[in-house]
Amino acid sequence: MRTDFAFVGVMLVTAALLMGVALVAAALLRPKKPNKAKLETYECGMETVGDTWVQFRVQYYILALVFVLFDIEAILLFPIAVAFNSLTFFAVANAILFIVVLLIALLYAWRKGALDWE
Amino acid sequence: MNFINDLLKIIGDFIAGIIQSILGFSPFLADLVTMGLAAVILCTFAALSFMGLTYVERKVVARIQDRVGPNQAGPFGLLQPIADGIKMFTKEDTTPATADRWVYNLAPLVIAIFALTTYAVLPFAPGVVGTNLNVGVFYIIAIGSGSIVAIIMAGWGSNNKYALLGAFRTVAQLVGYEVPMLLNVLPVVMLTGSMSLIDIVNRQTTLDGNPGIPFIVFFPLSALIFLISGIAETARSPFDLLEAESEIVAGFHVEYSGMKFALFFLGEYVNALAVAFVFSTLFLGGYAGPILPPYVWLLLKAAAVFFVFMWLRGTLPRIRVDQMHNMNWKFFVPVSILHLVVVMALMKLFVTSPAAAQANGGILVTPIVQAAILFTASALVLIGSLAIAARRARIMRLQEEALVAQRRAENIAAVSA
Amino acid sequence: MTIQQAIFILLALVILGSAIFVVTTRNLFRAALMMMLTFFGVAGLFVLLEIGLFAVAQVLIYIGAISILIIFAVMLTRGMQGMVPRNSQATAAAVVAGIIFFVLLLLFGPLRTTVDVARWPVISLIAGNASPRDVGGIQWTPAGQPIPPVPETYIADFGRALVDLNQYLLPFLLIAFLVDVVLAGAIFVARQRRPAEVIEDRQRQAEEAAEEAEAMRQAGMKPDAAALPEGAVASTADH
Repeated sequence: MRTDFAFVGVMLVTAALLMGVALVAAALLRPKKPNKAKLETYECGMETVGDTWVQFRVQYYILALVFVLFDIEAILLFPIAVAFNSLTFFAVANAILFIVVLLIALLYAWRKGALDWE
Repeated sequence: MNFINDLLKIIGDFIAGIIQSILGFSPFLADLVTMGLAAVILCTFAALSFMGLTYVERKVVARIQDRVGPNQAGPFGLLQPIADGIKMFTKEDTTPATADRWVYNLAPLVIAIFALTTYAVLPFAPGVVGTNLNVGVFYIIAIGSGSIVAIIMAGWGSNNKYALLGAFRTVAQLVGYEVPMLLNVLPVVMLTGSMSLIDIVNRQTTLDGNPGIPFIVFFPLSALIFLISGIAETARSPFDLLEAESEIVAGFHVEYSGMKFALFFLGEYVNALAVAFVFSTLFLGGYAGPILPPYVWLLLKAAAVFFVFMWLRGTLPRIRVDQMHNMNWKFFVPVSILHLVVVMALMKLFVTSPAAAQANGGILVTPIVQAAILFTASALVLIGSLAIAARRARIMRLQEEALVAQRRAENIAAVSA
Repeated sequence: MTIQQAIFILLALVILGSAIFVVTTRNLFRAALMMMLTFFGVAGLFVLLEIGLFAVAQVLIYIGAISILIIFAVMLTRGMQGMVPRNSQATAAAVVAGIIFFVLLLLFGPLRTTVDVARWPVISLIAGNASPRDVGGIQWTPAGQPIPPVPETYIADFGRALVDLNQYLLPFLLIAFLVDVVLAGAIFVARQRRPAEVIEDRQRQAEEAAEEAEAMRQAGMKPDAAALPEGAVASTADH
């Protein structure tokens, strides 16, 4: 297991090095003549007004929450899927019950309009 | 037939031997160097395919839209990627004065690193794989959340309203479409009994190395939803809401230029190609195929899938935000869950191995019969849900039209009175 | 020092460093990013413990979902960028964290063999009437003995245990219900009006405006253009 993941670690480090080298090389090659106008935040020809921290709609939060719900569902279902061939009918019925309970949550959110994006 | 494959292995062992014996390294260091070499090869492959794909995609989309595409740099514009590369390296790169420098500069690095790391588990041929994780499929989807982090970093680090809005939109899209992806990998994992990509390919291959029944035959619905979610996950057209120019300029990478922008671009293409590879592996039988060597088969399948991506990009208009969310949460997720339940029940009822039939009951069938049953069920769920969705959509549209007509009549009446 | 130990120390440094950054920085967004790094380090610890499934689940849930949720929550608050966030409960939180750390140290740390559970009601409350060597039903490997390897089939074992009546079936199903309740609560708190209600509202506004215009017409006045069914015009334009 550890040795299996060792390659992932090596891959992370290698990718970071290669991409870092590309960034550094570009930084050495490119011209660097900044002026005030260049360094301004991009806007439609005007100076940007106000804080970037605009208030976001609460919809994002609800969607993220529904996503967490189904992420947890999927994560718990994956080990069951791996063991699927050796499970009894009773066990599979319980797994299906688990899925159905979460489906009810989705339908509830749907009915309450939490999934609508207007 | 497997000559190239064996040759690669021989060369790999040879290099490992040289490192170990001549340079006098310890076995651990030799392993490390071999792994490093493999990682460099994989990263180079991904980066080169990125360069090639930008050219191919521009040509193909141009052809679809009755244009010529790049044709100035070199014969048929073949040197275009190199010209682009030179430009990216030498373009001046400004950091906005108000940006959060650390976050801003790290974001492109993070997206590129996580995109490249996906390739660590892809099996290219029997025995040619970075590492055979026993959580392979799961790993690929999990590492995809790295790009979500990078996009949020870019959006916030730029300190620009458009960038932040674009980043939030993209993140809401990416996390949403992760759910149907996970749910539609599950049937494949159930049938295989393993999350390792190599086991999944072996399950789609007969014992003597010939291609067996690919999983797209077992689960056509899963394959379709996985493919569409994959396109959405890589934020490609028609799901490229993040770069809706008319609304949020270029989305989260509006402040990026030069090499940093190139890294975002690389992340996008490398991820899209990874989705093509993963789809080929999960549903099209991976590297299994007759006559031709395994690499060629895998590349052919991935190229075919990527061509579908380009085709969609060339023909479909961008969808709206509400359409994108509705499609995911009100169609893909419920249908995937329904499909999952049906498939679980059927796979427990009709088993192929005598041992399982004896231990847990169930009707013993041959693999082909099982495939036929699952195909029928999957296709029925797909057709049924599509019919229901179409009917609902028509009713909603008629209601809305009636409402609008009623309002218009009222308005006219009010004004003329 | 073996290579595992070196990697463990590296990961521990990353986890501790980023965790300290999280609680000390004034910038909420950077704190959230650094928390992701902490989670990533914990995923690395799971790899060292040879449970890759949990490492990947850690990345998928904690980095890909929980952190995103936290960042969304941070962005929902308004004007945090300008002000300096302060926490009046920092001392209490530090004390509670210290106590929890001490209890964990007693349960799992190097002190555990010296603890007589019978004398520590708190621990026996948490861990049940277990002997010092197997607190909480965990079979501890005595010091100095090699840790038994994680079986190759641990994912399938875990899956079977989840749906086994004698093992974790009840918690497994409870998770589903718990998540349902959480979602219902969140939707209740952050409820938005449904589009149908919005349309109804607009319809009512339009009707009121039309009635008003009608009343004005009957009163013999020429209806003011601005007072005309503005709501109706807006709603038709919207849909």
